[in-house]
Amino acid sequence: MVYEASILDNLNQFLMYTGFANVTIAHIIMILIGLVFIYLAITKDWEPMLLIPIGFGILIGNIPLFPGLNVGVYEQGSVLNIFYQGVQQGWYPPLIFLGIGAMTDFSALISNPKLMLIGAAAQFGIFGAYTVALALGFSPSEAGAIGIIGGADGPTAIFLSGRLAPDLMGAIAVSAYSYMALVPVIQPPIMKLLTTEKERLIKMKAPRAVSPTEKRLFPIVGFLLTAFIVPSGIPLLGMLFFGNLIKESGVTKRLANTASGPLVDVITILIGITVGCSTQADKFLQWSSVKIFILGAFSFVVATFAGVLFVKFFNLFLKEGNKINPLIGNAGVSAVPDAARVSNNVGLEFDKSNYLLMHAMGPNVAGVIGSAVAAGILLAFLA
Amino acid sequence: MKKFYSLILLLGVLVCASNVYAQNMSDMRLNEVLVTNTEGFEDDYGYRSGWIELFNTSYGTVDIAGCFLSTDPDNLTMYRIPKGDVLTKVQPRQHILFWADGVANRGTFHLGFTLDNAKELIFTAADGRTVIDRVVFPALDTNKSYGRKVDGVGSVSEIGAVYKSFRNSKLEAEAKADTSTEHGWIKMDNPTPSTNNATLDGESKSAMMAQSDPYGIFLTLTAMCVTFLALAILFLVFKQIGKFHIKKKSENAVKAVEGTKNSAKADTSGQVSAETYAAISMAIHMFMQENEAHDFEDTILTINKVSRTYSPWSSKIYTLRETPQLRK
Repeated sequence: MVYEASILDNLNQFLMYTGFANVTIAHIIMILIGLVFIYLAITKDWEPMLLIPIGFGILIGNIPLFPGLNVGVYEQGSVLNIFYQGVQQGWYPPLIFLGIGAMTDFSALISNPKLMLIGAAAQFGIFGAYTVALALGFSPSEAGAIGIIGGADGPTAIFLSGRLAPDLMGAIAVSAYSYMALVPVIQPPIMKLLTTEKERLIKMKAPRAVSPTEKRLFPIVGFLLTAFIVPSGIPLLGMLFFGNLIKESGVTKRLANTASGPLVDVITILIGITVGCSTQADKFLQWSSVKIFILGAFSFVVATFAGVLFVKFFNLFLKEGNKINPLIGNAGVSAVPDAARVSNNVGLEFDKSNYLLMHAMGPNVAGVIGSAVAAGILLAFLA
Repeated sequence: MKKFYSLILLLGVLVCASNVYAQNMSDMRLNEVLVTNTEGFEDDYGYRSGWIELFNTSYGTVDIAGCFLSTDPDNLTMYRIPKGDVLTKVQPRQHILFWADGVANRGTFHLGFTLDNAKELIFTAADGRTVIDRVVFPALDTNKSYGRKVDGVGSVSEIGAVYKSFRNSKLEAEAKADTSTEHGWIKMDNPTPSTNNATLDGESKSAMMAQSDPYGIFLTLTAMCVTFLALAILFLVFKQIGKFHIKKKSENAVKAVEGTKNSAKADTSGQVSAETYAAISMAIHMFMQENEAHDFEDTILTINKVSRTYSPWSSKIYTLRETPQLRK
């Protein structure tokens, strides 16, 4: 009898350690959100590289834990906490930018540099959301972190929110990546609403061939100019342009291959899983998260409006043969290359021979630079 | 020529190295001094004595081991800060305190001299010659100190910087002439050993922004202007670079066309004409056809996997330890 009682005591004690004893409704909701992410990634093919790690990270982060086991992402010294340092200290995003730089071909932008201005105009989404977030009662630093969702750039959103509002980072990151996945849903109605039939049919000149020298000059000159204007954006801008230089230099193929392949894959896995883990129910399921999701959608909408309207405005000053199709204005929000693909698809809906993909890649990559610059500005003013 | 470039590279490295050194040490400042201490801060032994406070103005850790503190301009090496003590590493924007009790064997932070008859303090780099900072202080009442109004800020530091770098002779002259005024330093009724001399405004940028721009309109306008400016400059620069390349390309194309014309002229002037080349090509073609010579082989090339996959590198036998042989 003594042994049986002892075994029962042990089993009872063990039961208290299990997730079943500690589960709450909030945990269940978060686990369902994680499962929805995984479902969308697998069945709808929406940003699977991001939604699968984040979705599974949500599952990991929301297993009900008995506190003190030193396994949770917020428990100092735990394995997950060590992985999370890359997000918290902000060194994953610059490494992702290194990979983006090593993957990106800036030829479309170099051949038609006026498209850079579209990338600047679309950043209005960030600051539009910033002003609304202030009106909703967020502090300026929180509003800045929320606004950066409009930059449609996950690493930038994580980098900035880690500095300005670490408590909101989980909600901001999930919101940014979710809306990036929803770009094909959010943008086309706005693009169609703002453009006329005639504007949608504008055929742009084929981009000229860009010499290797120009491609090599771009990361060097681009970095020096932007970094001198916004030094606080150095971690992102520096790595982005450095990545591009190792790609275009032609003599560091191995480095470029590593940066654009294995390195960026490793960091994507780590950033996705840890951001997912950081959405623990008690920290994530709050009224502020709902507001962040609403503001995130608003910032994407404003950014798309700003990009398309700016192209229409810009066209007023361009000669007939040089006009820009306003359907590429949406691509200024970054979200490479989905936003450019949306431009192309919407363009093809109205003219089967009007391929806008290469033209849209210009504002698309300019949006990456623009969002990094905007993040640097917010950091300088609010950190 | 290679030696010349190597020499330039070496000089560059040396210059960079000296700058790194300068960036570290030159960030330290004498920050506050108290000569007579009867009722203030006590050291670890429970004694009260005069003290000197240093401040690290940088955002990186500075190790002051090996540097010197002195009260005599003719003897800059009166007290050498010992090496090997981790506490000599001063954290970013932090203070460190030295007790001027004249008993150096009490520890790293106890100087071998007192401030009783001193009028000047000098902080010198590890080379014993380069003055990093100095201050001439007035006669002080008991338990009163002389310090910077704001930590690390004041005219004396400029003298230190000039002595250190010799970069700006005008600033050096001005600073030397200004030693009597020492603006930025004040007599302090309430000494602040190892803490900030002035409590800085603790309000965060975010809080200040909330007051100055509650609706975010000014930040929005400023940020959009800067973003546009950054990308507009990039646009203008690359527009010019593009124009330059297009021009260069067209020039090269013109040169190439001219070169072709010249060579064509050379051909017509007497050597081999295009018709001749055509005739030779046709003759070779017919010859190949007649002799059933062909460019494409109809043989099928099959690459089979080698069936024997054995290699010493994958052999299990080489990864095993040999059975020891018994000696009989």
